[in-house]
Amino acid sequence: MEKTLYNIFKTFFKVGTLLLGGGYVILPLLQCELVEKRNWINDDELCEYYALSQSIPGIIAANTAIFVGYKLKKTAGAFAATIGITLPAFIAIIIVAKLIEEIIKWKFIQSIFWGVGIGVVLLVFLAIKEMWKKSIVDKFTCGIFFLVFILSACFKAPPAALIILSIFIGIWIEYQKKIEHGEKQE
Amino acid sequence: MIYLKLFLEFFHIGLFSFGGGYATLPFLYHIADVQKWYTTKELADMIAISSITPGPIGVNVATFAGFKTAGILGSLIATTSVILPSFIIVVIVSKVLEQFKHNKYVRSVIYTLKPAGCGLLAAVGVDMFINNINIPGMVLLAGLFFASLTEKRDPLFYLGVSALVGLIAGFFNLTG
Repeated sequence: MEKTLYNIFKTFFKVGTLLLGGGYVILPLLQCELVEKRNWINDDELCEYYALSQSIPGIIAANTAIFVGYKLKKTAGAFAATIGITLPAFIAIIIVAKLIEEIIKWKFIQSIFWGVGIGVVLLVFLAIKEMWKKSIVDKFTCGIFFLVFILSACFKAPPAALIILSIFIGIWIEYQKKIEHGEKQE
Repeated sequence: MIYLKLFLEFFHIGLFSFGGGYATLPFLYHIADVQKWYTTKELADMIAISSITPGPIGVNVATFAGFKTAGILGSLIATTSVILPSFIIVVIVSKVLEQFKHNKYVRSVIYTLKPAGCGLLAAVGVDMFINNINIPGMVLLAGLFFASLTEKRDPLFYLGVSALVGLIAGFFNLTG
């Protein structure tokens, strides 16, 4: 398939539609659509974009889509990919949101939501577990985890403030290393 | 001006949420606390619905929260502004990809951001657990948890099973 803006949009619209139950299935989906069916990028590139998407802010599935879009057709491609991956989610919610205000009053719908809500708690737990495995690698990262956890859970600190705080800690660590390194060289 | 407020709130979610699918949740709970656009109970329902509709859950839930706050225009603004930082950051990073990958400061910040994102989500997880779950809910959660230990399953499996259990539990008035 040719790498036109319309095709980029269409491809990510399809991926966005097939994305169910959280963004974790994005990698196999993109592999099938972009690498195998269309040959637009190769496996290594896809894995690199996915890894990069996790190391910048934002929704990972969207970040990955935008990286691929940029690779294919620069900024315009990134734009087409953004619209494509976002639109199905937007449309789905607009349709559902109107409907839900009506049917939420029904008893059996409430029961289903009660159940799904608990399923979501499990998915959040599993997400925390995965993140823990990838992020807590030593005493220092463990310390940051508990610092942020306590400030957020007990003191209701704004999440953005905690993220900015940890950005500064990261910069400060690297700066300290540089100073130490400089002193050693002298 | 509600639309400007919506834009700023959701732009800052897109800019600061870190660590994947559910990373936007701490911010959305914070908004429920501060702005009172929706209650935490309504948010829990929005998250449940977002989990079973197509699209990245972060986008779904932003669209939903925007809709709840200010109708269709609200959802359009929320969706656009939650995705805008991603667009800007990815385009910039793509342009300086090699420098970005090898920059020591970038690496160091990622090293500290990952546990911070995890800590934020853990706080939300504990909050969800304490505030929204009754005794039958605990039993369901424990069952799902053991199922997750035996093998890796698709998220939809857990959501499907828990929807079914919810339906059955409803008949016996266990859902509280």
